[in-house]
Amino acid sequence: MSTPARTSRRSGIRGGEAASGWLFTAPMIILLGMFLVIPVLMALWVSFSDWNGRGSPFSGSVSFVGLDNYSALVGGGGLAEQDFGTALRNNAWYVLLVVPIQTMLSLFLAVLVNRQILRGRGFFRTAFYFPSVTSSVAITVLWLFLFSATGAVKKLLAFVGVNGPNWFNDPSGVLHNILGVFGVQTGPAALTDNSFLGISFWEWLAGPSVAMSAFILMAVFTTSGTFMLLFIAALQNLSGDVVEAAMMDGANGWQRFWRVTLPQLRPTLFTVLTLGLIGAWQVFDQIYTGTQGGPGKTTLTPAYLSYQTAFTNQAWGQGAAIAFILFVIIVVFTLFQRWLLAERKVSVRRMRPYLQTPTSGGSR
Amino acid sequence: MSTTVRSRVRPRTPSQRLRNLSREQLPSRAIAGRSLLYAILIVLATIYVAPFLVQVATSFKTDGDAASNPMSLIPQTWSTAAYERLFLNSDFPVWFQNSAIVTVFVTLGRVFFNSLAGYALARLHFRGRNVIFALLIAVMSVPGVVLLIPKFLVINQLGIYDTYVAMVVPLLTDAAGVFIMKNFFESIPASVEEQARIDGAGTFRVFWSIVLPMARPALVTIIILSFQGSWNELSHFIVATQSSELTTLTKGVASLASGQLSQGTQYPLKLAAAAIMTIPVAVMFFIFQKRIMNTTDGAVKE
Amino acid sequence: MQRRNSRWLIGAGLTVAGALTLSACGSGSGFGGDTAATGGELTSDSSQGLNILIGSSGDAETASVNAAVAAWSEESGTDAKVSVASDLNQQLAQGFAAQKPADVFYLSTDALAGYASNGSLLAYGDELANKDDFYPSLVSSFTYDGEFYCAPKDFSTLQLIINTDLWAQAGLTDADIPTTWDELAAVSKTLTTPERVGLAIGGEYARLGAFMAEAGGSLMNEDSTEATANSAENVAGLEYAQTLLNDGVMSYASEIGAGWGGEAFGKQLSAMTIEGNWITGAMKNDFPDVKYTVAELPEGPEGKGTMQFTNCWGIAADSPNQAAALELVEQLTSKDAQLTFSEEFGPMPSIQSAAEEWKISNPTLVAFLNGADYAKGVPNVQGAADVVSDLNAQLESLKTGDATAILDSTQQNLEALLK
Repeated sequence: MSTPARTSRRSGIRGGEAASGWLFTAPMIILLGMFLVIPVLMALWVSFSDWNGRGSPFSGSVSFVGLDNYSALVGGGGLAEQDFGTALRNNAWYVLLVVPIQTMLSLFLAVLVNRQILRGRGFFRTAFYFPSVTSSVAITVLWLFLFSATGAVKKLLAFVGVNGPNWFNDPSGVLHNILGVFGVQTGPAALTDNSFLGISFWEWLAGPSVAMSAFILMAVFTTSGTFMLLFIAALQNLSGDVVEAAMMDGANGWQRFWRVTLPQLRPTLFTVLTLGLIGAWQVFDQIYTGTQGGPGKTTLTPAYLSYQTAFTNQAWGQGAAIAFILFVIIVVFTLFQRWLLAERKVSVRRMRPYLQTPTSGGSR
Repeated sequence: MSTTVRSRVRPRTPSQRLRNLSREQLPSRAIAGRSLLYAILIVLATIYVAPFLVQVATSFKTDGDAASNPMSLIPQTWSTAAYERLFLNSDFPVWFQNSAIVTVFVTLGRVFFNSLAGYALARLHFRGRNVIFALLIAVMSVPGVVLLIPKFLVINQLGIYDTYVAMVVPLLTDAAGVFIMKNFFESIPASVEEQARIDGAGTFRVFWSIVLPMARPALVTIIILSFQGSWNELSHFIVATQSSELTTLTKGVASLASGQLSQGTQYPLKLAAAAIMTIPVAVMFFIFQKRIMNTTDGAVKE
Repeated sequence: MQRRNSRWLIGAGLTVAGALTLSACGSGSGFGGDTAATGGELTSDSSQGLNILIGSSGDAETASVNAAVAAWSEESGTDAKVSVASDLNQQLAQGFAAQKPADVFYLSTDALAGYASNGSLLAYGDELANKDDFYPSLVSSFTYDGEFYCAPKDFSTLQLIINTDLWAQAGLTDADIPTTWDELAAVSKTLTTPERVGLAIGGEYARLGAFMAEAGGSLMNEDSTEATANSAENVAGLEYAQTLLNDGVMSYASEIGAGWGGEAFGKQLSAMTIEGNWITGAMKNDFPDVKYTVAELPEGPEGKGTMQFTNCWGIAADSPNQAAALELVEQLTSKDAQLTFSEEFGPMPSIQSAAEEWKISNPTLVAFLNGADYAKGVPNVQGAADVVSDLNAQLESLKTGDATAILDSTQQNLEALLK
């Protein structure tokens, strides 16, 4: 490496810096190594083994089974594949709805709250941000109550004359329900007879179940505040001159927003979309606390399925395999984001501060 | 609110002047627009706040009242049965205590280790610094839920399963926090420490008595994030412990929620538990509110 | 630079890995070697107290087990602590994997095969002093690979629970207690009002299976060697339940805001439910004002039928004090203890010598014990629990679903287990 010369040159004032540097970083390196790197390697081995949860996974009685655990998930034809397909379907719909809605809503809130003329901005910001600081467990408990069979949401809907669904107990797919209104009860044979990951295409197109929709609303409720703050910060950094120029051009508010503000918000927009995507693929706490995958497995997610497969059913290899497939999915999305950002020449440095959000925001 | 203050102090920008001008020119339209803005905001704020009010109100209701009047903000008959049960006749105090212990240790540990590592990466020149940096970036991209099984395996292998050590130590890994500290230390002028070094202070002395005190704003950020993160953590505790003495609030309340046969719905009890577990983070939030809003501002402005 | 960095990185990673492996070996705990599950002496480290993990049906059961264990603890001088699991199977599995399992725990029939096959359980059945007193059908439920693993704790059957006040209000008399499917449909209809549904049940195989049994079907044959899930009998049973659901005279408990059938019944959201003995404990504690009677389930096309459930007291192979655990289990399965449990939360004693006494002290619950003559158990092959939970998931939408398709997929899944 290229540093020795520099180090020796500076050794006058900076004597022992190398030792201190290692000493200072050692605790974090050891921690990250022991609780991140090595565990992942161990789990990788487990995902290729037939370990059944007793004794050490590295003992002689545990054998290497190659890709068996993975192939059972993506082509085994059994219950494992079907569950995995169901979990992927559920989570894909969740991502598809949560990410755009939370992004639009948080941008909308930020634009509203950022008005200079607004009084009580502090109050509104606090109100919108507060759900983001509470724990996912507490929010889930609250949601179970609000959306229960006798809950507030049902009452509220009844108040406006709608006979609301029995949210957390309704496994029917929202898209299927909408189609049902138009008299479409079963899909065309082309969809029902062919399947992917043990789930027919018609089932893939079921949409999120009503129960999952309640979780989707919850995710939007709890994350929009965090992202709103990111947008507010970005809005405050906008160059006023451009806006002014646009105003002089006679552009109205809506046009100004689309032509001037939004393009300038692009980096933040991409950040929010990416963080949203990554977070939305990691749904676990809510499912563990709320529905355990029910009703009808329609709130099963890969993260929860991985946990359940390993910890409850003792199929550790398969559980680890699900986790790694999920890992790959998330990495693909991250790389996709990197690629998008690289296109727009936004440096990694700019991204860095945002990366704290997944840690603090939890896996909502 | 910091920003309100800031905008008041800040010299008016041309666009603000322009906006004020246009407001004067179009009074009726502006008033209509502003009313609409407030109307929308108030409706939205109600949607965001109402659930929490309902939660607190319901925790003082009886089971039957909660089921028949889920929306009312005033219980028909005030009942503190839920709280009595939680505090006098359940493991709730133990859960609370465990959450508090873990949160304190994780927060202290993170503050110390993050600032140590952040300082070294920002200021000290040593072989392998870039490698460590690369490693940190790499591990930051590992999503948390993927680590459930791996963490359980390593905790077991180390023989610390079902102990406080297993609850606290793995949570000290915080690559993002190291970055925050590193960024902050880079913003402190190097001249301050150079002087101390010339005076003969050792590296740790310089770090501990000179640089660290200057890093208060960043440390507060770390404290907020660690506190919130470890207080609200669930999945790690699920895989790290099993005994009831080591149950944390999140795990305990989650088990209340998933409920057991015949314990019934018991919404007041569950909501009371959820409300109490929200209090510490809420207090934290209101104390550091200014700081939280600033944290994000600062981060984006970088 | 970049390449050298990464090579260096791998080196550092290996070093840390090596250090960790060494430290793990040094610590000597964590995953130990495999402990033999059978044969040999029982462990008897009396310095260790016993941990008992139960999946409780409610406060009544928790209190009752606590009292029984505390009494034993005082008598024997061994510490013992009861914990209630929120998810029994998950906590057991995690404990086994960490080699820190509870010493004594509830174990369901469908979980036996999995834990027995990987050596997590102590097969202590033959060492029980009262081993010949257990009902043979229960013993066979807990026999895996020819070994009697654990002492049946108690057992229950499903029957029809009727709210007598609502029954009378609807103008019904004892003569109207349904004995056929048509009669059940008729009284359910009579009892259904805008405020409540006639019959509420949990929407799962463990309740709906009773209809399948009445139609003469079951998921597997008696020895769990052949899958019979998609038989015409089972389809008939489910289709009958489907009709009741669609006529609005029967609901799943979850649909009407209750956690289980007993809660729906206790809160009078329904006039009848199908539950097992455990409902008596909940009624006594939570809904003491609701008067009810227990009737045998109506006959289906193939006569009487119901389901039978049982748990056993499992002992962990890794328990440091198996000898004390065995003593505790003998105590907990004794006639006196079982009769007390029965009185306090409802299940029936698993030993034959207690039957007569039980019938005398529980004249109103005789229907449950009568069910023992024709009840069917749940399949206990390894992996059956997953298949059943998949079936349960599908049964949630039975109302709009296709009974044949549901059972076909279950059949396929069960056949996969037998390969």
